[in-house]
Amino acid sequence: MDNNTERIEAFTEEIGSMKLRGSSASGERTLVLVGALSLAAGFALAILGGIQTSGTTNQADQRAFMATGSFIGIALVIVGAALFVRFSLARYLRFWMVRMVHESRANTDRIVQAIHDAAPQ
Amino acid sequence: MSPLLDAPPLLELVDVRAAYDGIEVLHGVDLTVPQGAVVALLGPNGAGKSTTISVVAGLVVPTSGQVLMAGRNTVGARPEELARRGVVTIPEGRGIFPNLTVRENLQMATYTGVSLQNVEAFTYEQFPRLGERRKQLAGTMSGGEQQMLAMARGLASDPAILLLDELSMGLAPLIVEELYGIVAEIARRGVSILVVEQFARTVLGVADLAAIMVHGVIRSVGVPSAIEAELSSAYLGG
Repeated sequence: MDNNTERIEAFTEEIGSMKLRGSSASGERTLVLVGALSLAAGFALAILGGIQTSGTTNQADQRAFMATGSFIGIALVIVGAALFVRFSLARYLRFWMVRMVHESRANTDRIVQAIHDAAPQ
Repeated sequence: MSPLLDAPPLLELVDVRAAYDGIEVLHGVDLTVPQGAVVALLGPNGAGKSTTISVVAGLVVPTSGQVLMAGRNTVGARPEELARRGVVTIPEGRGIFPNLTVRENLQMATYTGVSLQNVEAFTYEQFPRLGERRKQLAGTMSGGEQQMLAMARGLASDPAILLLDELSMGLAPLIVEELYGIVAEIARRGVSILVVEQFARTVLGVADLAAIMVHGVIRSVGVPSAIEAELSSAYLGG
């Protein structure tokens, strides 16, 4: 065996200095969940705000209900939808890309096999 | 017994459990790869061998346990970060891009910062056949040449730990022997290698240590000569 000490030392140092942040997959799942929950909570708040606003004729109360209910609710819906779409799309696109590579390889294998079979012996 | 087995471990799996969609497939795996050693992980189809490789490479996050590299637990590390530091995986099914040329495939190895010139120089010296086919679409090469390309791409990034998943899949016995000759050559340079194989005989010839995995647990670990005797019962469910 050649002396590989330098490489192992470099590897040990690099692994030691690595920042561990948890897996991106589990982080994505969490963010998809956070997005879905925000979306649901936003809808609920917006509807509640609408009901409360229409339930009173006092303009000051209406403004307060709109601010705390509808506006926050709508903001949550937008943020939740953005998170949900962004991170569920990332997962979908990753699967799609793997699928494309797999199919592309299978197609090439089939073409090569067909050319091989068609070649005169 | 190989003196390499007394070397300190570069890779160590401690009570690793992993699951897919809640179904556990690794039930507490313990495995050690000493520095510079070739460790063969053998077992029948569905034993959890490839999942073990995926856990080490960071592609599957274990539900519990530790993956120690040079003594540090790397659970949660991103696969690309591990690859950049020298944990190189050559996956089952080769993992090359069939619609790219050999040269373009090699370009993919430059993610670690190595120049394409260096990658090509290394590859064509190690695998002269790839030099002759540098402009050929990778998918139109023979299975053995495709596997060589996958190996060249992995080796060009100067691995510290090399993970080989089913190197022999779909290849003729003579090609498999040739490829394992190259694995032995890499091992002589001091790279620690974990190789997963379903068909065991050839890999036992180059391994310093072998383990048999059945149903997600390591059933036995030992020197290749001792493990060879247990293979039949492991594969036939004895």
